[in-house]
Amino acid sequence: MTADLGFGMTLVALVLAVYGGAAAGVGARTGRAALVESAQHAALGVFVLITACFALLTYAFLTFDFSVRYVATNTNLGTPFYYRITGVWGALEGSIILWSWMLALYTMIVVLRHRSTARELYPWALATMLGILAFFLLVMTVAAPPFQRHTPVPADGRGLNPLLEDTGMITHPVALYLGFTGFTVPFAFAMAALATGRVGDAWLALTRRWAIVAWYFLSLGLLIGGWWSYHVLGWGGYWAWDPVENAAFMPWLTGTAFLHSVMIQERRRMLKLWNISLVILTFGLTLFGTFLTRSGVIASVHSFTQGAIGILFLSFLALVLLTALGLVAWRWEVLRSQGDLDSVVSRESAFLLNNVLLVAAAFTVFFGTVFPLLSEAVRGVKVSVGAPFFNQVNVPLFLSLIFLMGVGPLIAWRRASLDNLARNFLWPVVLGVVAAAAAFVLGVRSSLAALAFAAAAFVLATIALDFGRATRARLRAGESLLPAMGGLVRRHNRRYGGFVVHLGILIIALGVTGSQAWSVQTEMTLRPGETAELVGYRVRFDGLTAVEESNHFKVVGAFTVSNGRVLGVLRPAKKFYPQEQSPIAYVDYRLGLKEDIYLVLGDFARDGRQATVKLQVNRLVSWIWIGGAVLTLGALLAILPDRRATA
Amino acid sequence: MSREWLRRLAAPVLVLLVSVAAGAQPPAAPVSEDTVHEVATQLRCVVCQSLSVADSPSEMASQMRGIIRARLAAGERPAEVIQYFVDRYGEWILLAPRRRGFNLLVWLFPLVAVATGLVLVATIVRRWTRRRRDGVAAPVNVDPAMSERIRREMERGT
Repeated sequence: MTADLGFGMTLVALVLAVYGGAAAGVGARTGRAALVESAQHAALGVFVLITACFALLTYAFLTFDFSVRYVATNTNLGTPFYYRITGVWGALEGSIILWSWMLALYTMIVVLRHRSTARELYPWALATMLGILAFFLLVMTVAAPPFQRHTPVPADGRGLNPLLEDTGMITHPVALYLGFTGFTVPFAFAMAALATGRVGDAWLALTRRWAIVAWYFLSLGLLIGGWWSYHVLGWGGYWAWDPVENAAFMPWLTGTAFLHSVMIQERRRMLKLWNISLVILTFGLTLFGTFLTRSGVIASVHSFTQGAIGILFLSFLALVLLTALGLVAWRWEVLRSQGDLDSVVSRESAFLLNNVLLVAAAFTVFFGTVFPLLSEAVRGVKVSVGAPFFNQVNVPLFLSLIFLMGVGPLIAWRRASLDNLARNFLWPVVLGVVAAAAAFVLGVRSSLAALAFAAAAFVLATIALDFGRATRARLRAGESLLPAMGGLVRRHNRRYGGFVVHLGILIIALGVTGSQAWSVQTEMTLRPGETAELVGYRVRFDGLTAVEESNHFKVVGAFTVSNGRVLGVLRPAKKFYPQEQSPIAYVDYRLGLKEDIYLVLGDFARDGRQATVKLQVNRLVSWIWIGGAVLTLGALLAILPDRRATA
Repeated sequence: MSREWLRRLAAPVLVLLVSVAAGAQPPAAPVSEDTVHEVATQLRCVVCQSLSVADSPSEMASQMRGIIRARLAAGERPAEVIQYFVDRYGEWILLAPRRRGFNLLVWLFPLVAVATGLVLVATIVRRWTRRRRDGVAAPVNVDPAMSERIRREMERGT
């Protein structure tokens, strides 16, 4: 019953989306406003229907409606209330609903915001968005249907993947998908720009803020994913260069490149072709990421043919890229920009360099991620490409990017004179050198870490210098300190929003550097009363207890942590789920600004007479999360309406 | 499919390995945990998605760390311990492919990507600045479009 109702609604939504996309397209071509209006109604209908599907599936989860196959495979009678809600998007079928719902939501916002402000571009953008929605609805009907009857109705379901029983399950996918789907809007307007031939500034002005929103959510999704990995997966890290992570990181890199190169087009009317390409690339990478993570192709190059989803995504990706490239070729003449540069030493060059590095990093991650498939296909030999590879090849790129982060905002547009360079960079360079020396004196022996600190100090100094100078100018004009600073930030919110985002990235980079350079760990088997020691911390094993939870069985270890005085008792555990072969580690930790103490329970004797514990002291990791908060502030500041334009 | 297969295969193999290692080696001299960690970071935990043996909290990884410790204690060099795992599991066990043969592709790709990008940008910058220089040679009366642009840029300020 529920399954049939849901499936029926999905089908109707699919038909509506196809009709709406076609109507908007024809309306845009022929200029018939009535058709575009009809497409808007269709978009509203699609939104309402997907919302209803989502609500229906949630209801099925809450009421344990095991007549729906997806409910039965992803929940059971023991699943707590909270995880029955997040369980809705706990697997492929449900995440496609969440994805489509967000896409429909973005489509509605585009309708409401741009219907009357962008008459030329809007109908094409609407057609593009509805077309993409139609694809996801197609996936929902043929390849990964969430609404499928399950007969006979089982008495109990299989249960949710235990790793997903965490609060991160609500924030992480939501943020990540808002980021992924958000890049559809810039892509839709880029297609509109190509279709109409208006590849100038209009589409960029419309989509710049959208791109920041999408970029921000993607960043947030990545960071929450890191936090989740850190406190749930129990391996003491936040980023493993897993294909799933790489899939989200690639569009982030090209999206970041786009946010920067946009400025050159706005300022200097150059790089039209490049900007359109970056948007196409970013959107293509979001689709590719979904293909990579959802088709099973990662496990083996041969496994993706087993499901329809891989073929569907690959075909759609090909369709999107061919259409986009076809349009680009068609508009080649207007896209070719008559670039002119005054000097090699200019902000334009700094931005071009930034783009080269970001896109090169994206391609590197891409190639590294697909290389195992290539190797299997060509040589028939399976290889792994993991963290050691990605760290080695990417760290130099990222260090250069951080350095450019200091150069870009301060170097002059067009032509940087020697005077301009000295005025802006003398002190930051000095500070960078001092920081490297200080790091060396303080015992940093890794040259990469020292370089990272030098680059960070350099960038920090450029930001402080710029802000200080601008504030002083306002003070001279007779304002007092705080209003001067506030006014500056508010009036140039885009510039200072960017600075604050840079600051956030810088803090994250420091956290990453610190945790890579200084984290230590040890592993010991202890009997009750025995103690493990690591860099001044003493961890005493107090004993094991067994706890029966609603849907699993848990063995909890108690460890008293002290460093001279008792800091507290940490309780890492192992959870045994009936549906899982091996137990799930549940870590316990004590977070600090300087270092985190992190405990993982390993093997133990059933009678509690001994337990193996992995003790880690992870340095500076908290700064990654703090950097995320700063980045949020900066992004908010950057998307505030521009005061200067209206003033 | 293949992970399941590995998981099933890996357990008995490991039990065998542990017993062989334990039986063959004399009582161990203390091994530096840093060396164990160093070796373990380069090996892939066979039952995980992409975690190293050093990081993974799984029992399998913990047993593999045990083997590394035992073999190092028996006097093997880190490279030999790694080769030992490669012999048993294939190249797949290495988290970074060895830099030879076909694998060179993946190692050289980043260099090629950056180099191509830099050459491209250098060419474009050169061409665009040259056009500029040729333009400067022309008479210095500024055309209206340009002065309009200057006015606009001045208004925008920085």
